[in-house]
Amino acid sequence: MTDEKFEQFLKRAGQGYNAPPARIPREEMWDAIRAARSAGPRVVYGGASHLRGERRFAGKIWWAAAAALLLVASGIGIGRWTASSDAPSATAARPTSSDKAIARSSDPIRDDGPRPPGSDAAPTAPSAVRATPLIEPRSRLAAGDRGTGVALRATGSPPSRDRSTDPAGAGRTPPRGAPSSAYELAEVNHLSEAEALLTSFRTRSAGDQQQDARLAAWARELLSNTRLLLDSPVAEDPKRRPLLQDLELLLVQIVQLSPGSPPQDREIVEKTLQQDQLMTKLRTAIPAGQRGS
Amino acid sequence: MQLAAYESRSPVHDLQLITRVVAGDAAAERELYETYVDRIYRLAFRLAGDEELARDFTQATFIRAFEKIGSFRGESSLSTWLHSIGVSVALNGLRKTKRLKSRELPIEEGLTVGSTRVDAEPDLKERMAKAIESLSEKYRMVFLMHDVEGYTHEEISGTLRIPVGTSKSHLFQARSKLRVALADFAPEWVS
Repeated sequence: MTDEKFEQFLKRAGQGYNAPPARIPREEMWDAIRAARSAGPRVVYGGASHLRGERRFAGKIWWAAAAALLLVASGIGIGRWTASSDAPSATAARPTSSDKAIARSSDPIRDDGPRPPGSDAAPTAPSAVRATPLIEPRSRLAAGDRGTGVALRATGSPPSRDRSTDPAGAGRTPPRGAPSSAYELAEVNHLSEAEALLTSFRTRSAGDQQQDARLAAWARELLSNTRLLLDSPVAEDPKRRPLLQDLELLLVQIVQLSPGSPPQDREIVEKTLQQDQLMTKLRTAIPAGQRGS
Repeated sequence: MQLAAYESRSPVHDLQLITRVVAGDAAAERELYETYVDRIYRLAFRLAGDEELARDFTQATFIRAFEKIGSFRGESSLSTWLHSIGVSVALNGLRKTKRLKSRELPIEEGLTVGSTRVDAEPDLKERMAKAIESLSEKYRMVFLMHDVEGYTHEEISGTLRIPVGTSKSHLFQARSKLRVALADFAPEWVS
């Protein structure tokens, strides 16, 4: 009973709360509605109209497209700018004979030809060099010259320091006259392979003509690389150049040995090897831990 | 007269009216407006308490309704659909105006700072207004629609998109709070 009375009280008292006027301005509101609808952009109270929303969406698309274009253009610009700043190294990166020497000496497994016994101990190129895209194709080119006995002479300036092979030295400029890490690496690999060849030569079995032929082929290849290294910045080092020259002489002698050559010729080669102490020099020149690796 | 026109509406009539409005019949638009404008305006005024805001809300409700009437699928009655637009427009608009007003210090409030306000005899209308405004939005909406404007719980349910039971529960809660707030006037409903 009390609840019903309270409800009636509330309904009665509530009528006074924000009581609307007796006259509702229908015509004025209708005129305003018609004006708003005929104005084109459909303005909605407190919110954007559909048309405005579509325009905003279209605007967003244009902004996004413009931003994407700007981003791409900036990327291209930065790329070109960095490329132009590295232009000297890019020019030097053209395939030169010196690079071929690097490629050859750093890719010992590319040769499908005969291998002397014990050649398993020959050093393999570090993956950093083998993975370098600029060197790999050149090694393929160099492979075409193999066996011709013609040493290619360096004609271009030495390539700049290859950052991919020297992460620690990235950005550093090597001193003038000092070979880059890539050349040093190639030289070490080459010397290791030469050591393996000479070891095989000394331990070869007498009278094995097949083995002699394989050794001669191997020596020819190493001779070619030795001559290329002699034309590279590596040879500017006063300690390395005589070593490479001695090696060249010995390799020439081994190459000139025919499979059926008399034992006296071989003794001459072995004598040269001992007199020059070439094996000792080679082992000294190869840093510890890289021999036969 | 207008309320009578509203009460005599049938769903078939509404459907025909909608079809005509969608086809671009100006007379149908006017008919729809005339049928529902009073209820929409009254509710807007109850919520806003301001003539200008009530007009703005009502106009915006019909403008939006005419824009969206093509997407009306008849899942609810035209009245419910229109009222839900009206309530949405009014509540959003009130939230915005409330934010704007909250940034300003009312003059009366500024003048009474530091002074003791003495109300000799509490006025029922004023106390009622304060009590209603102290209700949360959901309770106030249901109370105003049901007890003040005479909407049914089904209509409230459709308009506010709440279950009928929730509408009833909200009304009960609103009344309970108002009973406490208006306890001084108990003799008026007890006697």
